[in-house]
Amino acid sequence: MNASAAPLVEVRGVSKRYPGVLALDNASLAVSPGEIVALTGENGSGKSTLSKIIGGAEQPDGGVVLVDGAETVIANPATALKLGIVMISQELTLAPQLTVAENVFMGRLPRRGRVIDWATVRRRAREELAALDVHVDVNARVGDLSVELQQEVEIARAVSSKARLLILDEATSSLSEHATERLLELVREQAKRGVAVLMISHRMPELYSTAGRAAVLRDGKMVGTVPLPSTPESQLVRMMVGRELNDYYGSRDCVPGDVVLQVRDLASADGALAPTSFEVRSGEIVGIAGLVGSGKAQLGMALGGAIAATGDVRVNGSPVTLGDPRRALGAGIGLVPDDRKRAALLPTRSVAHNMTLTWLPKLSKFGVVPTRTEKRRVKEAIAEYGVKTSSPAKLITQLSGGNQQKAILGRIFALDCPVYVLSEPTRGVDVGSKSQIYALLQKLTESGAAVVIISSELPELIGLADRVLVCFQGAVHGEVSGEQLQEEVLNAIAVSGHVHSEEPS
Amino acid sequence: MSQDTSLRPSEKIAAPSDSGRVGVLTNVWRASGKTTGVLAGLILLVIYLSITQPIFMTWGNITNIVASNSVVLVLAVGATFVIISGGLDLSTASAAAVTGMSYGMLLQHGMSAWVAVAGALAVGLLLGIVNGVLISYVKISFLVVTLGTLSIFESAALVMSQGKTINVFSLEGFQPIYNLVNGKVAGIPYLLIFDVLLVVAAALVLRYTTFGRGVYALGSNREAARLNGINVARTTLSVFLIAGLAAAVASLIQVGRLTGASPGIDSTLLLTVVAAVLIGGTAYTGGDGGVGGTVLGVLFLGVIQNGLTLSDVSTFWRGTVNGVVLIVAVALGVARDRGWLRFNRGKTPASS
Repeated sequence: MNASAAPLVEVRGVSKRYPGVLALDNASLAVSPGEIVALTGENGSGKSTLSKIIGGAEQPDGGVVLVDGAETVIANPATALKLGIVMISQELTLAPQLTVAENVFMGRLPRRGRVIDWATVRRRAREELAALDVHVDVNARVGDLSVELQQEVEIARAVSSKARLLILDEATSSLSEHATERLLELVREQAKRGVAVLMISHRMPELYSTAGRAAVLRDGKMVGTVPLPSTPESQLVRMMVGRELNDYYGSRDCVPGDVVLQVRDLASADGALAPTSFEVRSGEIVGIAGLVGSGKAQLGMALGGAIAATGDVRVNGSPVTLGDPRRALGAGIGLVPDDRKRAALLPTRSVAHNMTLTWLPKLSKFGVVPTRTEKRRVKEAIAEYGVKTSSPAKLITQLSGGNQQKAILGRIFALDCPVYVLSEPTRGVDVGSKSQIYALLQKLTESGAAVVIISSELPELIGLADRVLVCFQGAVHGEVSGEQLQEEVLNAIAVSGHVHSEEPS
Repeated sequence: MSQDTSLRPSEKIAAPSDSGRVGVLTNVWRASGKTTGVLAGLILLVIYLSITQPIFMTWGNITNIVASNSVVLVLAVGATFVIISGGLDLSTASAAAVTGMSYGMLLQHGMSAWVAVAGALAVGLLLGIVNGVLISYVKISFLVVTLGTLSIFESAALVMSQGKTINVFSLEGFQPIYNLVNGKVAGIPYLLIFDVLLVVAAALVLRYTTFGRGVYALGSNREAARLNGINVARTTLSVFLIAGLAAAVASLIQVGRLTGASPGIDSTLLLTVVAAVLIGGTAYTGGDGGVGGTVLGVLFLGVIQNGLTLSDVSTFWRGTVNGVVLIVAVALGVARDRGWLRFNRGKTPASS
């Protein structure tokens, strides 16, 4: 933006080295009050490291951090908080056992004398949440809430703590379009009041609608800063990846063949998904859109056997036993769940063991794993699915989100299933990895798989899918394809259950 | 790697220059496996004891250490499976008391050696099934179940024998086990050979079988294991079966050494077993570790015990030493994992 306002927080020439990688290399950045700066770059480019240094979670190996123009050591997140630096990340920091109200005021519960004033806690929590248009019972246990509501509670806590610098590290990655829009509105509102904002997001439209400029990191170096929204997206992406990204979603050369997946009256036992029927052909990608809570997540889980469900699901004509992931996998339905950390990663295991987990029954003879074959297969898969790791023996949690996801996808893709159900396959993944994942999906479909993609990112569905089913309040309310496949149409059905003029087919 | 270049030709942030900045010692420390610390500690301990206690390095003393720690080792190998899978079996020492009593009573009733041994093993499996079914199929927390069976098995052993110790020495069927537990071939105790075979077998199962991989996956992330086709209930049941079987084998060794089946339980046995597993680098949260580390943990605690005895230190100190070693070992592991502890704090890098 401009140099008129003195920067609230400035980093000068900071470097940070982790074992084996220089995460930040002499990077500088300044954020002034009232300014929204987008911190962009591929995964592993140093965005998170830089935001962690400003947030006090990491210490730089070199360079200085200035707060209000004075050199400051932000020794830990508590110090950052005292300086008014509040970080909201994709990793929730709420206490799941405590109530919403307790979480909002955690560490600063209002007191009357020496006793916590619970009436005030609840009243003020209710006010804070109402101001943000978050409708949730302040006495509810946070652990019982959906991920989306938890994120909103986290944001309410940050906003109510009088932040001067708000760092949003992928804060919207688990939110629906609607909730995201609300959060961004809130961020713009805070900026108008003089709060400085540093936001990290993989979703370009968010950055363009919110930020005033974008700072671009590549391989730990600050490549430059460009004004938003005047800089074309293609130029920004080029700066981020250092090359052209032509044809982001890729394309496939195949016509849908025979029906592979038949779904009749599939409903989840918890009632979140009403009986739903559809078919997917070989070589076809069917997208599932919908808001959080529309039942789209349950549709994927029910297909993969991850939750109890009723109905009739057939793969190539043979019925699949529902409610048991092992049977679903055996019947040829490969599921990639949406919550990577909770339901897919083995955090204490290596990249290799994470990938072979699902292959073991096929790979082993009489229950024994032939390690030589295993090693070879892992090596091949790492190359085929573009997992960037210095060694297959590396802990999977040491990889970037994008590479973790590629390993998880490779784990399932290598099974050659006739049907794949992928829930949010590119959540928390950087642009470079995203386009690689799209290319993998296209290849998979070309080879004859029937693919179901559940996603909150409409451009992704439009770019990939032959047709999109839109869920609304627990049921499929429309199927969109061809010319009709546009964000406005999908959004209209997702929000209201129907398109204004015409009946959904 | 080759696939890197296709993505970003310029990318090469090599690390070799690291060592100059962070310090060689720090790097070695951070790259060290979870068992390196206890191995180094064990070596130092052995060097110290062999200098200060001339008796320590004699073959007689070494076989004594092996013999007196075999019960703990066998139980700890079983416990390693349970802990890697993300559980804990608090009932293991009590289960050993029940299987030991069963063995003693079968001998007392004139059963032949192998019937009595098979009976003890069967009882061990049964106790494992009780724990395993309640945890994996009835879905009660392993802490609740094994805390309950800890108490139940303990009392069952007392009820079975009316609180009396069964002297088995003179019983005919006892002879084979007595010979195996106390015998030697070419100066090498059978027990040492058995321990080695057991540990190797357990390590192979954990490392090279789908079952072993499932145990790790379960402890690492239960939900991910379930969604990727691991039979969670069966794997959980299996690790508790292994623990039950381990209790039976341990009790046979115990009875063989003491020549009597006693319903009483050494109150420090459970702690020693769990401590040995954790000192050996197996994560108490599951998903990481192995029997190799457990062996080191057992040896570490056993050698310390032996050292205390040789140095005429009161056995009352035993619990204190075990507890301190446990906490220090786990704390060091945590420190390494979080990247604390640098060996050259003073040499902070000059900013570029």
